[in-house]
Amino acid sequence: MVLAPALFLLFPFAAPVRAAGPDALTIARKCDAALKGKTQHGTASMTVQTPEWQRTLQMTFWYDYPDKTFIRITGPAKDAGTGTLRLGSNMWTWLPSVERVIKVPPSLMLQAWMGSDFTNDDLAKESSLPTDYTHQVEGETTEDGDVCYRLVATPKPNAPVVWGKLVLLIRKTDFLPRREEFYDDRGALQKTLYLDRIRKAGSRDYPMRWRMVSHSKPGHETTLSFSSLEFDKPLPASVFTRQNLERHF
Amino acid sequence: MLFWQMAWRNVWRYRRRSVLTVLTIALGLSFDILMRGIGDGFHEQMVDNSVRAGIGHIEIHRSGYQRDPALLKTLPDLPLLERLVPRTPHLRGYSFRVLGDGLASTAENSTGVRIIGIVPGAERSVTTIDRAVIAGEFLDDRMSRPALIGERLSQSLGAQLNDKIVLMVQAADGSMGAQLFRVAGIFRSGSPDLDRSVVYLLRRDAQALLSLGDGVSEAALLLDSSQMVDDARRFLTGRLAGAPVEVLPWYVVQPFLRQFIELDDDFFYIIVLILFIVISVGILNTVMMSVFERVREFGVMMALGTRPRQVVRLVMQESAVLALLGAVLGAGLGSASTMLFAYTGIDLSGYSAGASALGLTTTVSYPELTARNLISSDLSVVLVVLLVALYPAVKAAGLRPVEAIRHV
Amino acid sequence: MAQIEVVGVSKTYRNHVAVHALTDVNLTIAKGELVAAVGPSGSGKTTLLNLIGAIDRPDSGVIRIAGLEITSAPAGQLADFRLQHLGFVFQSFNLFPVLSVLENLEFVPALRGTPKRERVQRAERLLADVGMTDLRDKRPDELSGGQQQRVAVLRAILSEPDVVLADEPTANLDSENAALLLDMMERLNRERAITFLFSTHDPAVMSRARRLIRLRDGRIMGDEARES
Repeated sequence: MVLAPALFLLFPFAAPVRAAGPDALTIARKCDAALKGKTQHGTASMTVQTPEWQRTLQMTFWYDYPDKTFIRITGPAKDAGTGTLRLGSNMWTWLPSVERVIKVPPSLMLQAWMGSDFTNDDLAKESSLPTDYTHQVEGETTEDGDVCYRLVATPKPNAPVVWGKLVLLIRKTDFLPRREEFYDDRGALQKTLYLDRIRKAGSRDYPMRWRMVSHSKPGHETTLSFSSLEFDKPLPASVFTRQNLERHF
Repeated sequence: MLFWQMAWRNVWRYRRRSVLTVLTIALGLSFDILMRGIGDGFHEQMVDNSVRAGIGHIEIHRSGYQRDPALLKTLPDLPLLERLVPRTPHLRGYSFRVLGDGLASTAENSTGVRIIGIVPGAERSVTTIDRAVIAGEFLDDRMSRPALIGERLSQSLGAQLNDKIVLMVQAADGSMGAQLFRVAGIFRSGSPDLDRSVVYLLRRDAQALLSLGDGVSEAALLLDSSQMVDDARRFLTGRLAGAPVEVLPWYVVQPFLRQFIELDDDFFYIIVLILFIVISVGILNTVMMSVFERVREFGVMMALGTRPRQVVRLVMQESAVLALLGAVLGAGLGSASTMLFAYTGIDLSGYSAGASALGLTTTVSYPELTARNLISSDLSVVLVVLLVALYPAVKAAGLRPVEAIRHV
Repeated sequence: MAQIEVVGVSKTYRNHVAVHALTDVNLTIAKGELVAAVGPSGSGKTTLLNLIGAIDRPDSGVIRIAGLEITSAPAGQLADFRLQHLGFVFQSFNLFPVLSVLENLEFVPALRGTPKRERVQRAERLLADVGMTDLRDKRPDELSGGQQQRVAVLRAILSEPDVVLADEPTANLDSENAALLLDMMERLNRERAITFLFSTHDPAVMSRARRLIRLRDGRIMGDEARES
C-alpha cells in the first residue's frame, strides 16, 4: 500500500560526511534498493488506533514502481470491496456501497487514507527522495539492537514535499530503515515510523511491521503488518486500470 | 431664581447669536442621532442576516466543540435540552442539527463539503435558507435521501437538479461512510461560503451516514431580536449548570461580525467627535463674545457683592439654557428624521456588491431609534456645551472688579 | 465709632511707569456724613474710593469700615463684605439691562438671601417713598440717564449699607438731573443716616456736600467742613 511511496521517503541521497564508510547519498540509495523493488504484490492488515475507536482493515496491494498503485480492501465486510487506484498524480477510489468511483482531488492529498495516520499524499507521492532532498549523515546510533546510520534529509528548495525535515535510522548491516521521523516546516516532530519484524520475504530481508505513531494527535497510531509479500514479479497492466477498480468484488 | 431669570433673558439679549448657536447644537445633535440610527439599523441587519443564515442568536454544543469540533462531540443530555430549549424566553425558533465534513463527488469533480443535517420544519423557524432556494425545493421529510446544495457547489460539481452525488465521510466510529444523495434543491444564499461548500441533508440521513445514531451536534436558537441574547443565555446557562455544554452567543460563534460592528462604531464615534469639536468651537466663540461684551456688567455685579463662583454659575446657566434648547430641538429633529427613514428605508441597491460582501442579503436598510441612543446623544451634547462654556465662565469670574468697571 | 478709618494708606500702580496714586493718606469719616472727595483727574480720588469700597487693596496702611478691618481680610471675603456693608453708584451703566427696575432693586437682597416676598415689598416701598413707582417694571433702556442714576442710588441704599460710594455720579447728567439726583441723595442721607462718600469735580455736587476733602497727586491737601 504505502510501501512504494514510503520507499521514496526512506531514500535520501546525501553528500558524504566522513571519509571512512559510505557517504550519505550511497546510504540512501542502498536503503532505497533494500526496501523497494520494481514491483510488489502482497497482503497486509492495517490497524488504526485512536482514543475513541480502533479498526482493522485487510487489504491486497499491487505496486509498480514508480507511479502505479492498486489497493483492494478485503475486510471487514463493511469496507470490503473498496479500492484505490493511483496512476501518476491522479487518484481514484471505488465505493462499493454506492457503486461509484470518486476522484480524489489534490486538495485532499493531505487527508488521512481510510482514517489512518498515513495520508493520501503518502500514498500517491511521486516525489523522489534522491532528487527532492539533500542528505547528511549525523553520527550513528543503536535502534532496537541494530547499529544504524543517522541520516538527515532536508528538502531542496521548490521540492514538492510537505515536510521540513526527515530523520532516518538506517541499519548499517543491510541498509534497512528501522525508524523514520517526520518534521514539519517549523521543526516540530509530527509523526514517527517504526519498522520491525524483519523477516525473509522472497530473497530479501524486509520489515514486516510498520508502525506510524502520530505526535500531533496524541493517542493516534496506525500499524501495518504484512502477511505475504513478493518482489519483482511482473504485474499485468490490467491491474492498474479504472475497469479493475470498478469491478464488482 | 433671579439668576435663572437673568440667564434666560441674557440668552435672548443676543437673539441672533443665540438662535444660531441653538441651531448649531440642534443640527449637530440630530446628525448624531440620525447617524447612530442608520448605523444601528445597518448593524442589526447584518447581525440578523448572519443569524438567519445559519448561526442563530445562540448555539448550544458539547463543551469544547467551538474551539475544537469533532464528530463525536455530540450534545449531551439531549432529552433535557429538548425539553429546556423551547422554554427559553424571547424564543422565535430552534433547530437541533447534525454537523460533519466530507467529500462530495460526481463523475466530474470532487470537493470537500460541510454537511448539515436538519429537520426541515425546525430549520425554517431559525434560518431563511428555505427562501434562498432557486431551483427544486427545500428539504422535506417525505423525500428519499435528498440533498440541498449551493449554487456554486452545483456548478463546481456539475450536479444539476435530480442528479446523484456521492457523499463520503469518515464516520464517528472511524469507518468510511459513503452514500448516494439526490439533488432535491439548489440555493443561492448570497454568502459565497454557503453557496460553495454546504450540503444540507435530512438529519436522519446525516446521522446514518456519519454513524451518529441519535446524536446531534448542535442546537441553534433564534430570538426576537439580538438585544435579547444575554437574557436568553442567562436562562439557559442557569438551568444547565454542571452540564458539559457551551451556550454561545452569536458574537462568539462569529466574532468577526461583532468586531466589524465595533470597528464601524469606532469610526462613527470619530466622525461625531470631530463634529462636536467643530460645534464646540462655535459655542466657545458665542459664550466668549457674550462674556466679553459684558465685562463692565460683571464688574458692577462683583462690586455689588457677587462672588466669583456665582458669576461662573450665571454664565454656565446661560450656556445650559442654550444647551437644553439645542438638545430639545436636536432631539426632535433627530428623532423625526430617523423615524422618517425608518419608515421609508434606505435603498442600498446601488451598493449591492459591497453589501453582499458584508453579509447583507437585503437591499433596504431601516434605521433604528432607541431610547438609549437618544438619551446618550443628548447628554453628550449638553455635556460638551457645558464643558466648553466652563472656560469663559471661569475667565469671567476671574475678572477684577476694579478693572472690569472701567472696561469700555 | 468712626464709620470709615483710613490710616497711612498708599497705593502705587505699576504699568510701564510707576504711578503713585495715593501716598500716606489718613482720613476719618463719621457715620451719617455726606463727604465729597474732590480734585483734578489723577489726584487719587477714584483710587481712594476703590480702596474704601474694598474692590482694590492698598499697598500699605489700614482701612476700617464700621470697625471691620478690610485690609487684613482675605481676598475671598471681600465680596461678601461689600455685599453686607457697602453700596455703589457708578458713573454710568449701573443697572443690569435684562432686569426691570424692581428686579434691579431686588438684586442685592436676593444675593443676601432675603426671601422674594420681603425684598419685593421693600423695593416697592422705597420706590413709593421717592415717588418712582411708575418706573417699577421698566427696563433700564426705557429710562432716561437721570432716572437710571436715581434708581442706582435706590439700589445702593436699599440694603442699608454702612457706606454708599459714588464715583462721579453726575458726570453724565445734565444739571437738572444732577440736581434731582443730589436731592435724593441728600434726603436719603438725612432721613436714614446713611454715610455717603462720593468723588466729583462737579461744583454743583461739591456745593451739596457737607465736607470736602481735597486731593492732589495722591495726597490730601485739604479737608473742610461746609455749611450748605
